[in-house]
Amino acid sequence: MKRKQLTAAFMVLTMAAATMMGCAKDAQTSKTTTDGGKEIREYTAFFAVPGNEINDDNEIQQMIAEITGAKVKETWLTGQTAEEAVGTLIAGGEYPDFICGSDGTAQLYDAGALVALDDYLDDYPNIKNFFTEEEWDKLRQSDGHIYWIPQFNNSYGENIETTHNDEAFWIQTRVLKWAGYPKITTMDEYFDLIERYNEANPTMEDGTANIPYTILCDDWRYFCLENAPLFLDGYANDGSCIVDPKTEKVIDYNMTPTAKRYFQKLNEEFHKGIVDPESFTQIYDEYIAKLSTGRVLGMIDQWWNFAYTVNDALKQQGLEDQGCNYVPLPITIEKGVQNNWHTSGDTLNVGSGLSISVDCKDVEGALQFVNDLLSEEVIRLRHWGVKDVDYLVGDDGLFYRTDEMRMEAANTAYKASHLCTYSYFPTYTGMSQDGINACKPEIQPLEFLSGLPKNVQECLEAYGCKTYVDMIGTNPIPGPWYPIYSFVGTMTTATEGGTAWTKIGELKHEYLPKVVMATDFEEAWTEYQEVYNGCNPQSFLDEVQAEVDRRIEVSKQSAQ
Amino acid sequence: MDKRMILHEKKKTSLSDKIFIVLNTVFMILFVVITLYPVLNTLVLAFNNGTDSLRGGLYLWPRKWTLKNFNTVLHKNNLLIGAYITVLRTVFGTLTALAANALLAYIVSRKRFLFKKELSLFWVITMYVNGGMIPTFLLYKGLGLTNSFMVYIIPGMIGAFYMLVIRTYMGGIPDSLEESAQLDGAGEMTIFIRIISPLCKPVYATVALFIAVGHWNSWFDAMLYNRMSTSLTTLQYELMKLLSSVMNQSTSIQAMKDSATAVTPTSVRAAATILTMLPIVSLYPFLQRYFVAGLTIGGVKE
Amino acid sequence: MSIAVSGKVKTKMPTDLKGKEKNRKITWKEVKKQKVLLFLSSLFVLYGIIFCYLPLVGWLMAFQNYKPKEGFFHSQFIGLSKFVQLFSDDLFIRVIRNTLAMGAINLVATFLTAIIFAILLNEIKSKKGKKVVQTISYLPHFLSWIIVTGILHDALSGTGIVNDLLVRFHLLKEPINFFAYPKYFWGIVAFANVWKETGWNAIIYLSAITGIDPSLYEAAAIDGAGRWGRIKHITLPGIKPTIIILLLMNIGNVLNAGFEVQYLLGNGLVKSVSQTIDIYVLKWGISQGDYSLGTAAGIFKSMVSIILIVVANQMAKRAGEERLF
Repeated sequence: MKRKQLTAAFMVLTMAAATMMGCAKDAQTSKTTTDGGKEIREYTAFFAVPGNEINDDNEIQQMIAEITGAKVKETWLTGQTAEEAVGTLIAGGEYPDFICGSDGTAQLYDAGALVALDDYLDDYPNIKNFFTEEEWDKLRQSDGHIYWIPQFNNSYGENIETTHNDEAFWIQTRVLKWAGYPKITTMDEYFDLIERYNEANPTMEDGTANIPYTILCDDWRYFCLENAPLFLDGYANDGSCIVDPKTEKVIDYNMTPTAKRYFQKLNEEFHKGIVDPESFTQIYDEYIAKLSTGRVLGMIDQWWNFAYTVNDALKQQGLEDQGCNYVPLPITIEKGVQNNWHTSGDTLNVGSGLSISVDCKDVEGALQFVNDLLSEEVIRLRHWGVKDVDYLVGDDGLFYRTDEMRMEAANTAYKASHLCTYSYFPTYTGMSQDGINACKPEIQPLEFLSGLPKNVQECLEAYGCKTYVDMIGTNPIPGPWYPIYSFVGTMTTATEGGTAWTKIGELKHEYLPKVVMATDFEEAWTEYQEVYNGCNPQSFLDEVQAEVDRRIEVSKQSAQ
Repeated sequence: MDKRMILHEKKKTSLSDKIFIVLNTVFMILFVVITLYPVLNTLVLAFNNGTDSLRGGLYLWPRKWTLKNFNTVLHKNNLLIGAYITVLRTVFGTLTALAANALLAYIVSRKRFLFKKELSLFWVITMYVNGGMIPTFLLYKGLGLTNSFMVYIIPGMIGAFYMLVIRTYMGGIPDSLEESAQLDGAGEMTIFIRIISPLCKPVYATVALFIAVGHWNSWFDAMLYNRMSTSLTTLQYELMKLLSSVMNQSTSIQAMKDSATAVTPTSVRAAATILTMLPIVSLYPFLQRYFVAGLTIGGVKE
Repeated sequence: MSIAVSGKVKTKMPTDLKGKEKNRKITWKEVKKQKVLLFLSSLFVLYGIIFCYLPLVGWLMAFQNYKPKEGFFHSQFIGLSKFVQLFSDDLFIRVIRNTLAMGAINLVATFLTAIIFAILLNEIKSKKGKKVVQTISYLPHFLSWIIVTGILHDALSGTGIVNDLLVRFHLLKEPINFFAYPKYFWGIVAFANVWKETGWNAIIYLSAITGIDPSLYEAAAIDGAGRWGRIKHITLPGIKPTIIILLLMNIGNVLNAGFEVQYLLGNGLVKSVSQTIDIYVLKWGISQGDYSLGTAAGIFKSMVSIILIVVANQMAKRAGEERLF
């Protein structure tokens, strides 16, 4: 009797278990599928960055599979940091075939999860030619082997740049137009212009008040506030510190006289009511919403952080005609300092890239796939899409797209079902092999021009410029260490310098807003300075210096 | 409250009672307004054109109607598989967890049970300690739970919190009932199933709701343990992926030229919220029936 | 039902009963009869050991310089140095203070509002009205924090509705940017929690209230008890065991003051009051790959929770109230 009831009580559990087990274990990837008689190799990939997942029946993915004989199921980071995701992978000791660890790349290397690629490279010409010998050498790890292939910023032909994708002081074209397109090159001139404009035009056409200058300070996006001193002194974007190209020495930009002048200026402007009082409390969404109303005259930001959503919104509301789009200005602290906001040429980020894991059963096949992805035909499929469907070819051989095609290319559903860029696999940018078309539509000069808002076009013309980049000019890469942020990104609290770096970040988040809002700037600055020096910044700089020296050494060796 | 009582009340509603009723009604209306408004606002955002929403000023009614946000959500790859798995895990997970928690609660609610106290403590501790992500992951992997449906069901089967809630409720049931059953020769399981459980319907319904909502909303386990198994994905995990991909929207100039996409993370999030809220919210009235049922049983029993 | 016996009687009854039971030792004969229960409990214990206690091996990480490659058994042993590191960090001390303060404020606020709401809702006559209000009340539970904080940010910004109303009714001269001042932060977090969870938390109390025998209300009404009297003498005592159990459990959770709300609502200016232990662990443990430090902080949290629980439980025992164990 009792036993019977006992069984009954556990019935639910066992029943459920039994029914479910059936459909449980069918998940692992099958290595091959046949499609039209042809064998297609299937690989898995995980990228520790957020990304766009595509549909299983994606059309271009299928076309690429027919050309290359392989297909990759990609998964992306969701709701975890790269290190956490990589940490779980390492803990479980199970890896997908392809992997890009992003910020967790060093951990993967440490855990012995990656396959050394250098012995294979010679067999795959497209991969081999993707970098020069010198560049490959930069990628060698402490054991002398190469484990990952950086995917981006690699031009096949001439490097084409239309947009300044990075940081700058941005300003609305209406401000420049009002002032008759003056030459603005210093921080003081910039704020002076904004002040004068705002005094003459305190509101927009519909009567809403302008916000003269706003600062985004939300979490990691606080670069909009903190690293301007680096650029104001005319140095290239090394990210977390200055590396002086002349002396090859690392300089801390946080405590330079320029930094003090910059924050003092912000402090003055804050009390004049020019700096948006909500600057330090707004979150990213609010900031974007603010820019989208066209009320904000100027700010520091990186193009990719605001432009796509904001420009779209401005267009929809007809605010383009009011001159609400942003252009960058070549601002420095003093006249005569050469601005270095834009660095041209390919920036090799040695910190991470595409790797093949030790769990990959077919390394040759995987590399063959990477190799095939770099062929002209496949690159075109990845970035331009299908001829006559996603783009047209003019009589002169130039690729172009109709408005509908552009619209489709930006449609989320279409992207998922049709387009397949394999975006975290190595790819080329710049001029393609045919010598007339760019590798990607967005850098095709005509494509770029036809999408430019009128007010921006007018503004660029007034300054004699063709692209955003022309507005601030361009500079060569300063030296073989560049960009040093690819090293700082891998620093952790395991070292003294890394701890100092993390502490400094925490501290600046708290004190920089205080400094800007302080009624007594000098006092606030002194306090900030004291706490700052208490964080042992020198240990950070020393570690970075060591890396700079190492990189210079490596580059010298491979030049020989 | 039953009818007799209301009749009774009508006769002698004192002044203070009247004031109470008025104040209470006002309070409830206020409460409803404050509570409902943000939900309504989310609804508005879900139906409004994403880029248009950035202009702000949206309160109670969409300015530019669109179904695009919902479209984007519904066109998500694997959404159906996710929904299917989520329903399965919600049903099975809730049933098994409810059965397990109820049984455990029954055991520790036995006043004369030898290890009553120790067993309670054993489970209370689990509410406050955990080994962290990595050891847990290794354990599940060792048990073969990764890349399997059972990882949604087995590890979360007992929740000390639910167990305690049920135990407390059971503690309120008079001993006389069981004693008479025991005298009739009923075994422990019979008492649990035939006598105690019917009386526990209200608390079972409550706990079932809590467990079901937990299952419905979970995605972390899907990501952690079944990342590579598309066929075991869950609804919320797919939605999370969608959101992070909308946020990551193209790094190319076409987005700015295109005025047709008009979805932003905010608008997609709003649509996804509404879509996932619906089923669980509409489930509630059915569970509420059991709350009322509990009331009648209580009445009959005395 | 026994729990619903009016307040005065109840305080006496259980203590007596329990006292008696304690004195009476459980006899071997009784134990023999419990073999089904014993067998089942052993299954539950087995399950608990595997799924809840076995992963505690992971606590070893706190005493090691844990490297994923080396695993638990080969990482370098470093003793208590991670704990020393934690407690010599001023930031960690500040973070403990914030966590405790917010945890306590949230506990009191959400607890009271849920009980009050449940009782008041129960007093609504119209069945339909009750149903509608309750269904609405727990909707916010389903909004993610990111949506809730977004709305809160809008409402409390310089141009938001709150400032708008305050200025319009001359309660303020100028709009205040609420998020710029540390003094408002804890209040805002508490409000957010109350708003989001009141209806949801009330579900348990409502379910407990339905367990109260209606005849008690009738009897009270006949005795001429007013509404307050009935709430005080029947409803409250009726849900008291539930209240106490939840209170005990939540006291142990004071250090889990949360992460998402503070993370989403915080900014540089209020950093000194907004960071909680969980945020600290995320920043210094997980993001930096220092799992050992994160685990050490986790152990500290667990220890404090258990101490709090045991103390609270003892207090409940002394007062003759419901206990956790």
